[in-house]
Amino acid sequence: MTDYASPREVFAAVDGFASEVESRLRAVAGRAPLSRKLALSFLGDHERHRRQRAALLVRLGLAAAPPLPPAPAADASLDGLRTAQDALVLAHAEGLSALGDAKAVDVMAQHMVDHSRHLTLIDLWLEQEQPNG
Amino acid sequence: MAERDRLGRREFLLRTARAAGIAGPTLLLLEGRVSAIEKSEASDLEILYASLTLEHHAIALYDEGLKRNLFPAGLRRYAVDFRGDHLGHRDTQIAIAEERGGRPPRPLASYDFGSLGSGDHLLREAMRIELAAQDAYRALISQIRSQDYMLAAAFVLVDEVRHLTVWRRVLGMKIY
Repeated sequence: MTDYASPREVFAAVDGFASEVESRLRAVAGRAPLSRKLALSFLGDHERHRRQRAALLVRLGLAAAPPLPPAPAADASLDGLRTAQDALVLAHAEGLSALGDAKAVDVMAQHMVDHSRHLTLIDLWLEQEQPNG
Repeated sequence: MAERDRLGRREFLLRTARAAGIAGPTLLLLEGRVSAIEKSEASDLEILYASLTLEHHAIALYDEGLKRNLFPAGLRRYAVDFRGDHLGHRDTQIAIAEERGGRPPRPLASYDFGSLGSGDHLLREAMRIELAAQDAYRALISQIRSQDYMLAAAFVLVDEVRHLTVWRRVLGMKIY
């Protein structure tokens, strides 16, 4: 379990995990038309979240973090996507109490709801792809 | 159409909360009449009590559905899993409340779930209580004062979203 000490640490972790998930979503999007639709929907949520996180940094008086280097090309495995998505959800859950601002908690809690929904859909997708699923 | 089917999303949550005796600032938050409350040990306890009423309600519904074998065979494992989650949420929050000297609410003597005559009706009731739980935790989490309770509530909220997403998918509702 990660014990975040400041909002800056939370946002840095979320940015990093979100970047990995986005890279994996782009890879997964090429698997089939249905996976493309799902991935594009998730990526749309990520884009909105990124804008809202930027607004929260301003609200909290924190300088914008330097842009992350492009994430390395990810494989298109659902297992890999699931692992990355789980880490992203966990960063939100463990980070909320370090934000120290009710508005920031409110916004990031909504992002966590979106990411938890994505995680569940990935789990259901994985179940479907299992031989006996 | 049954009365509960006409009730809006918020109305169901509010009715459930009021029936369990939730009042004061927490009810105002759930009603959307205020966006923030003065945080204190007492307000954390009020949030805990409101959350516990929903957990009791969810456990009672899953108990009833499982006892009467109303969940369709392929979905029973989800009901068992989700019931277990709610039991965990209940026990965690009772422990937090008691640590703070609170007196957490007990389950109601009975719950009105309507006829629950079919699996579909039961799944809609399950979805409704999960939606109410998600909305309640979502509305209340930013008003929690203590860090340990906020952490616990965050993990509870993650579970509620999972439950809701599964039932929405099963019922053919929009999920993304």
